[in-house]
Amino acid sequence: MTTMTSTFNYLTKRQGGLLTVIGLMVLLAIIGIIVSDRFSTLSNVTNILEQSTALALVSLGQTLVIITGGIDLSIGSMVSLASVLLSGITNGGTGMMWVAIAVVLGLGILIGLINASATIWLGVHPLIVTLGVGAILQGVTLLYTQAPIGKMPLSFGYLAYGRFLGIPVGAFFVILIFAATAWFLHKVPFGRYIYAIGDDSVGAQLMGLPRKNVLYFVYAFCGLTSAVAAIFLVARLGVGQPYTGQNYTLTSITPVVVGGTLLSGGRGGVVGTLLGVYLVSLLNNLLNFLDLSTHFQLIAQGLIVIIAVSVYVENKRKA
Amino acid sequence: MMSQSVDSSAPSQQSTRAKDIARDYGIHLVLLVLIVITALISPQFLASRNISNMLLQAAPLGIVVIGQVLVILVRGLDLSVASVMATAAVVATSFNGQDSDALAVFAVAIAIGLATGLVNGLLITKRSVSPFLATLATLTLLQGMRFAYTQGAPSGNVPPIYRVLGSQLYYGVPFNMIILAALTIVFSLLLHKSTFGRRIYITGGNPVTAGLILSGFVGIVDNWVGRGFELDSIVAAVMGGVALSGGRGSIIGGLLGTAILVVVFNAVLMIGFPVQLQFIIKGLVIIIAAAFYVRKSN
Repeated sequence: MTTMTSTFNYLTKRQGGLLTVIGLMVLLAIIGIIVSDRFSTLSNVTNILEQSTALALVSLGQTLVIITGGIDLSIGSMVSLASVLLSGITNGGTGMMWVAIAVVLGLGILIGLINASATIWLGVHPLIVTLGVGAILQGVTLLYTQAPIGKMPLSFGYLAYGRFLGIPVGAFFVILIFAATAWFLHKVPFGRYIYAIGDDSVGAQLMGLPRKNVLYFVYAFCGLTSAVAAIFLVARLGVGQPYTGQNYTLTSITPVVVGGTLLSGGRGGVVGTLLGVYLVSLLNNLLNFLDLSTHFQLIAQGLIVIIAVSVYVENKRKA
Repeated sequence: MMSQSVDSSAPSQQSTRAKDIARDYGIHLVLLVLIVITALISPQFLASRNISNMLLQAAPLGIVVIGQVLVILVRGLDLSVASVMATAAVVATSFNGQDSDALAVFAVAIAIGLATGLVNGLLITKRSVSPFLATLATLTLLQGMRFAYTQGAPSGNVPPIYRVLGSQLYYGVPFNMIILAALTIVFSLLLHKSTFGRRIYITGGNPVTAGLILSGFVGIVDNWVGRGFELDSIVAAVMGGVALSGGRGSIIGGLLGTAILVVVFNAVLMIGFPVQLQFIIKGLVIIIAAAFYVRKSN
């Protein structure tokens, strides 16, 4: 037992954590292939990719926030509000659609800036700030509408079901933006500041790093990715609904944690998060094939988080 | 009590003293002002039926707040309270709904609370997982198990004796209020008079486990949905001056926070504002309250 545990710990050190995630994905894929011959078809793979777009986007924003040692609990309400505004303002008109998209993207950035400002200027922990802002956004959403509202032009469905070079548009976009963010985090000085602030906020400030600007940036970025996630969700559903984002606040954290980004900040990255997103999507897909209700997805997700946090925490202590 | 002895290490000046008073009694004032204003706008607010109604609503939340305060005191945060409550409720309704089952229902519900608290506590103390993440995981897990068990819709009946606890009045005072009062006394004594309680204030490893178990335990008393209680219980605790950084605050403070929350919710309805406004007010209140206590402690 002890040797097993130490081998396990050895395997999960550093990049090994990501290898564990990949290993789990391979394991799930093998189970899937055994369970159903429709699992390994191209249409199912594209299906998984299509469904993971929104989760990938919210998790991307959440990753950057968590690297700074913060957290954004307003994501779900942000997605809901952006969904109903996008669909409600557009209301079938192509001209208004562009206005609506601009409004929604602008709002995402604005809400992010508000989250950051409250954290910086009031000195309140981001958990409380974003919890409060999330409640406010939920109230605003329900004041605006309590039922599905408006409609999108038919062509808007391209975002959800269209193909670019044979790949679902959303998945293509996701890979592009994750690659860009990974490059930004590791190659651009400002990107590295994000890690520095999360690792040691006081020290980073003493070194003259722009803590406030970093916080403004990550929360605005997170608000923006939430808004973009809402755009893809509305494209898929065809209409904006006031509860669309409800589950995304908490599910946005799962891939981040599974991907090895620590809640205490300073460590992790977006590549791990993307793997985490695909692991969660693969798992949900597999559970569908096993004819298990969506409720089991929650059980599986809870278990995955418990396993992941147990593995990575040991990591940091030794590192 | 402990908080004051900790604070007294700071240089004692006249202005610090005034700030201390503002921090310690500001919430009483806010509650009083709220009640007076609402009563002036809507006379119905102070009708005995409405007061009974508010007490009835306040008790379950207050009971959860006791647990949440204990957890936050040890620098934790329990997001799984609502999930524990709803799961216990589902179990409570899965028996035949007779009084002879009351004991069994109670035992199973307590077991769920204890088991959840134990998993949370073990993750936090043995694996150094942050309380936020640990309780998030158990929340998700419990929710899934509950939905899978009920197929989405709870069915069955609660033993009548629990209905009494949940909704009956005793000379205008709800039974659940009496339970809340009893729990408040027990846990306040535990917190202030026992070594174990003092250790909770000092923040350590094991009390986290204990706190989480307690929150799981008190979470079962509300027989119906606990939806929103994770947020509401945190809001109430923060409003009552329980610092998220741990080690400062009291159960009474948390209960005053609960009272403010219930009065505000009730006032929104009494004055005739749209219900959705409750969310917005709740959000504003938690941020303002947290900011208020941050300033005071500086």
